[in-house]
Order: sequence, then structure tokens, then C-alpha cells
Amino acid sequence: MRNIFIVLKKDLQIAWRDKTGWLSSFIFSVILIFIYAFAFDLAKTNSELLLPGILWTTFLFSGIIVCNQSFQQESATGTLDAMIASPISQTSIFFGKFFCNLISLSIVQFMIVVLGTIMFQVNLLKIEVILVIFLGTIGFVSLATLLSAFEYRERFRAVLLPVIELPILIPLLLAGVQASSSALEISNTSSPWLIFLAIFSLWGFLGSILLFPLVNEK
Amino acid sequence: MTSIKITILELGNWFLQPLWHSRWIILPVITSICVMAMLIGAVIAAPREIIEGDVQRLMYIHVPSAIISYLAFGITAVASAILLINGKLYWDAIARASAGIGLLLTFFALSTGAIWGKPIWGIYWTWDARLTTTLVLFLIYSSYLLVRNLGNANDTRAARYAAIVGLIGYLDIPLIHFSVDWWRTLHPQRIVFDIRPSLPTEMLIVLGIAFLAVLSLVLWLILLSATTEYLHQQVGKLSGDLDQMES
Repeated sequence: MRNIFIVLKKDLQIAWRDKTGWLSSFIFSVILIFIYAFAFDLAKTNSELLLPGILWTTFLFSGIIVCNQSFQQESATGTLDAMIASPISQTSIFFGKFFCNLISLSIVQFMIVVLGTIMFQVNLLKIEVILVIFLGTIGFVSLATLLSAFEYRERFRAVLLPVIELPILIPLLLAGVQASSSALEISNTSSPWLIFLAIFSLWGFLGSILLFPLVNEK
Repeated sequence: MTSIKITILELGNWFLQPLWHSRWIILPVITSICVMAMLIGAVIAAPREIIEGDVQRLMYIHVPSAIISYLAFGITAVASAILLINGKLYWDAIARASAGIGLLLTFFALSTGAIWGKPIWGIYWTWDARLTTTLVLFLIYSSYLLVRNLGNANDTRAARYAAIVGLIGYLDIPLIHFSVDWWRTLHPQRIVFDIRPSLPTEMLIVLGIAFLAVLSLVLWLILLSATTEYLHQQVGKLSGDLDQMES
């Protein structure tokens, strides 16, 4: 537990000092929302129907930027090898990174939700919507943390991560959009999307914990 | 008890060893016979479907390709899991080979489905559950091969990364299927594995032969591809050793 806190504290300090990761992620999300607004002409069309999809695609893309940076610096400076060689267990490293990404992405998501509420005149700050976003984010961050631990060559990194992650995350995207639509009372689906989202997140979380020690096995 | 065990093992060896040694003769011969039988069966012997017409004959390649692609990806997942446990690189050769063949089968299934879909459904593509799941599988295993191609044949790190993608991708299949199924579905109901099949016997026989043909072709190709990959690994290892000796 103490080791998890040490890794988390270190990563949060780096994120706070650097600011590039979560700030670029937030600015990218804002730009993405503007792009959607222009592309779908949200002022004229019924934006409520498109809103869950817009929110979740924005979360996924901004999340990839946040999680992509969690190992990038350490991998470039060689600190990751030192961390693995240290007495801290790989699971503690995973949990530290996971919580750091979860906190960073949750802050970005909160800002997007506030911005969405103002821009689309739909109250997104409902407890049901926040629960859906939080559940989905746990699954997403687990898998994204696991896959971002791969040490890619620098020029491949930006392209490969979304290519690997997005097809695996399609069930999460579908469940997140449908559960958010239900929470916002836009549509009434009979399928239990919230339970599915919880199952996917649990699957992603447990799978990532089990597989993470194998990523950097020496 | 021990003597029975030894006898069974001896019998197994007596039967399997010659089979393994003559694999490069047996597999091509069986595959050629089955593929010829499938072609004759599908084009000439099988009756013409009254409603769908000749385009229904695509089913004989579409259904086996779709189902056996799951088997190929299953082999990739199992080989990936074993590689992650014991680290032996020949499991990577098997995983990589079956992923490539699985992709080829998925491509066949998707393209024959599209050709069939146009005259029957009036569209080449629809966001139906099984179609979408197959497309997502195609994307996941394409990314598997992309990750694996980051390193050469002997790169254990790239092999491990690819194995993780291969394993997660396979475990993701039921989740993808359920989610897309709830999302929407249009695909014709299963007609092969029902207790009372709705296909005529002649068509079922040809379909059975087609399954055998695709299965033997896939096994042959996987074995061929895995052996080539394994030889690549050996050549890489030998040239590495040679470089070390020279320096």
C-alpha cells in the first residue's frame, strides 16, 4: 500500500510540474467538441441525441493522450528499468500508475462535463451520468495503463496506442454511450448496459493486474 | 496400471510419429482432395437454393471461414498464454502464424458476406452483430500483427507485447459479441448447429466437406507459416552467435 502511494505521489508530482499531459488532453477535448459542433451543426440538429456519443469519443481520445504519457518519460530516461529493478512490486507500480491516470483523466472529464453542460444546455452533472462515466473510466484506464506500458519506439508510439486500444474498447464505448443515453433519459433501452459496463470494467481491471507484471518481465 | 500407460504411450508414438514425419505429404494431399471435393460439391453437386439462387453457394466458403477463423485466433490466444508463462519463442511462431491465417479467413468471410449481402439484403455492409464482431476481430488481430512486427523474429519483448494483445483480444470476443448483439442484429439465424437443421441433407454434406477442406487448408498453412517463422528465429539466433564469435 505504501509503495502504491509512493509511485502515485511521484507520478502526480511529475504530472503537476510538467502539466503537458493533462493540459494537452483537455485542450484537445475542447477542440474535439468544437469540431463535432461544426461537423454536425449542433446548433440546428437535436444535439441531445448525439451528446452521449460525443462525450464518450472525447473521453476515449483524451484518455489515450493522458495514459500515453504515463510511461513515456520514464521509458525515455531509463527510469522505468530502475523502478522494475527496485524492490517495489510490479503490481504496486501498476496501481500507482492506474490511480494517477484515473485522477488526471477524471479531472479532464469533469471539465468536459461542465463545458458540455454549458454548451449543449443539457444537465450532465447528474449522479447517474457521473456513475456511468466513472465506471467506464475504471475499465478504460486499466486497459490503457497496461497497453501504454509497452516500450514502443518513439515514432510508432502515437499511432500504435490508439490502433491497439480502440478496437478492444468498442464494448466499453457502446455500453458507455447507451448507459449515458439512459441516464440522460434520451433513450430507454431494455438491455442492462450499466451492469455490462461494470462487468467490462471489472474484466479490464483484473486482466490488467494479472498481465501487467508480464509486460516488463526480465 | 503403469504397463497400460506405457502401452498407450507406445501406441500413440507408433501412430503419431510417422504421421508427424510425413506431415508435408499428408496435409497437402488431404487438403487438395478436400478442396477439390468442396469445389465440385459447392458448384455442381449441391442443389440450387430456390429463393437466393446461385449466390447462396458462397455459404460453403463463408460459413467455414468465419467459424474456423475463431479457431485460428483461439490458437493464437492459447499459444500467447503459453508464451507468457514459459517464454519459449516457438510458441510465438505458432501464435503469429495462426493470427495471420485467421486474418486471411476473416477477410474471406467478410468479403464473401458482402458479395452475398448485396443481392440478398440489398447492401454490401450492415452493422449487424456477427458482422461487426468479425470486423472488430479483424482490427484487433491486425493490431496484434502490427505490434509483433515492431521487432524481428527473435525479439522477445515484441513477442510478449503481441501475446498480451492476442490474449486480451480473444478474451474480449464474448464482450464484443454481447455488446454489438444488444446494440442491433439483422444476421440470418443459425442454420447449421440447430438441433433440427433447416438445410437439406445434400447441402449439409457439402458444407461438412467444406469445413474439412478449410480446416485442413488452415492447419497446413499454420504449420507451414509457423515452421517458416521458427526457421527465421533459428537463423536470427545463429547469425547473432556468429557476430559474437567474430567480435
